[in-house]
Amino acid sequence: MAASMAVASCWVLRGCRDQRLLLGWGRRLCSGGGRAAADARTHFGFQTVSEEEKGEKVYQVFENVAKKYDIMNDSMSLGIHRIWKDIFLHQMNPCPGTQLLDVAGGTGDIAFRFLNYVRSQREHQVRQQLRTHQNLSWQEITKLYQEEEHKSLGGSHVVVCDINKEMLKVGKQKSQCLGYSEGLSWVLGNAEELPFNNDSFDVYTIAFGIRNVTHIDHALQEAYRVLKPGGRFLCLEFSHVNNSLVSSLYDLYSFQVIPVLGEVIAGDWKAYQYLVESIRCFLTQEELKELMEDVGFLKVEYRNLGSGIVAIHSGFKL
Amino acid sequence: MLALPRLRLLTWAWRRGNLQAAAGRPFCAAAQEEDGRAGQGQQQQRPPLDPGLLEILACPLSKKSLRYEESTSELINEELGIAYPIIDGIPHMIPQAARMIGKENQEKEPEQT
Repeated sequence: MAASMAVASCWVLRGCRDQRLLLGWGRRLCSGGGRAAADARTHFGFQTVSEEEKGEKVYQVFENVAKKYDIMNDSMSLGIHRIWKDIFLHQMNPCPGTQLLDVAGGTGDIAFRFLNYVRSQREHQVRQQLRTHQNLSWQEITKLYQEEEHKSLGGSHVVVCDINKEMLKVGKQKSQCLGYSEGLSWVLGNAEELPFNNDSFDVYTIAFGIRNVTHIDHALQEAYRVLKPGGRFLCLEFSHVNNSLVSSLYDLYSFQVIPVLGEVIAGDWKAYQYLVESIRCFLTQEELKELMEDVGFLKVEYRNLGSGIVAIHSGFKL
Repeated sequence: MLALPRLRLLTWAWRRGNLQAAAGRPFCAAAQEEDGRAGQGQQQQRPPLDPGLLEILACPLSKKSLRYEESTSELINEELGIAYPIIDGIPHMIPQAARMIGKENQEKEPEQT
């Protein structure tokens, strides 16, 4: 037992040192990647690659992990990603009738939550209506219920748009297994070149997706274009931790545990190595906020969850 | 030392996840088969594309509206001569997936219809 503990502590200590080296190395590469943006180079994790290459590599990563994506999310975050997504939906607080575009939402996590949320809001509305109309006849009540069956979402619709065929396939199969059919469509499309008309949606969401987009500013411009005036942009993404204790534990966990889990569960060490590296290279809360403001979003604000492990950015097209 | 219980917890979560996945598999596989059959029937009986979705879809390049061609199950941008395929009910709206419609085809198409 003592021997195994000693081995474990050695492993952890060695890990810390490696990780510090790795982080320093990563930061250098990341800053290099930022400067090199002008000659069409970008970062793929801690590597600097051409923009074209990044698109292909990101595609490969998600193509390989699509089938294990949900299991990996649960095991890596110990189920906490579900809480983050629930908080995200509560912040959106969609009313029945809301038209949502969920970009990079391949496996449908946000879309299914949206449909559940809208359905419960709608039920609440109907109960309220019935309470205020106490003197309704039976005929009126049955009519109301019949109408309700047809419009359990109150006209809400969610379009899931993802660039990855495999992720969409998994999401669509999941929707059939879980019995979601009404008010849900799947479209293969690029966040930087959205295949939708101007002013089409009330809300645009992108959860754990914007980090993987090659030109984030293009994606934001496209989000602005497809939103209706008054529409809301919401982004849930890994961000930068503001607490030094949480930060060191988080770094240790990210670099030492996540790639191992990736190898064991999804059989893909590199994909999860990319995941943790790409999080370190992503914009800070303030940088993303500024980028959103540059594109034209107003009332831009963000909220940190878990000391900034993830952040929710919100902005309006007014 | 702190990492040990956490790792054990993780392997537990992983094993549980795998069990759940294994338990869910037969049901999902059945649903997929059913879906395959339903999909085949759907293609013959009713259009696989939601009209509401067609209304908001646009060409990612020109941002113009598209025409739905039921016979080939494609979304066509007449102006640029590009057709985006709809595969398993999912419109593939990226230029890499699109097909160029030759001028000859375009001329022939009205004759056929």
